[in-house]
Amino acid sequence: MNSSYRTPLGRVRGLGSARLGTQDNWLMRITSLALIPLSIAFVFLVLSLLHKDYHGARALMGEPLPAVIVLLFVLTGVYHTELGMRSVIVDYLQGQLREFALIANSCAAVALGLACVYAVLRIGFV
Amino acid sequence: MALTAPKPRPLSPHLDVYRMTLTMAMSIVHRITGVGLYIGVALLAWFLLALSGDAMTFATFTGFIHSFIGQLLLLGFTWALFHHMLGGVRHALWDAGIGLDDPLRERLAQFTLVGGVALTVIVWIVGYAVR
Repeated sequence: MNSSYRTPLGRVRGLGSARLGTQDNWLMRITSLALIPLSIAFVFLVLSLLHKDYHGARALMGEPLPAVIVLLFVLTGVYHTELGMRSVIVDYLQGQLREFALIANSCAAVALGLACVYAVLRIGFV
Repeated sequence: MALTAPKPRPLSPHLDVYRMTLTMAMSIVHRITGVGLYIGVALLAWFLLALSGDAMTFATFTGFIHSFIGQLLLLGFTWALFHHMLGGVRHALWDAGIGLDDPLRERLAQFTLVGGVALTVIVWIVGYAVR
């Protein structure tokens, strides 16, 4: 049937109108799968933070496991969100508005991601 | 090369020419919850930044999140997260070629709808009950 050693993904990578579409699609799938356990862990973490005061919440968020869970959730999340929002923008907006929206989307995703990373590190180290 | 006006791109018929079905509504809700989760990430960023500051900045955040609007946003965030997650599981099944046909397709859509609400209710009950 298929005598080539190349995987189906490898054969279509770099093709298509944007040349990167298959990679985006693949990363969307990978991040969505990763976000299932990460979101569940995040919900449990929020539930355990819920009734804590400032010092209690800071102490819990300063521990390695909660910090790493939030970092993974945020970084995987903003990547997934950026890709998802990009496809919504491309579907519904045209012309210059689309370009502005795409740039704003990328900037917002990076800014939100970095703000969260900065905050988690500050909680842990300051 | 001669300058020619770009030809208008062909458009596929938009949503309004089709009869609304459950799977179609679910597809739209999947997108809306996805966009809504952007606000959820912003809310999370605010929480983390507030917590990384002092007791005052944290009090400003908790004051907002305990307000009516704050609770509504948090409830929406919870539901959007669960609904979008179950919707994502459905997409993963479709990618594997499972659940594209009639009976299972409808069941999966109903499961996502009910499951998202059920998980939200469970988490909020736990949130209010367990201290």
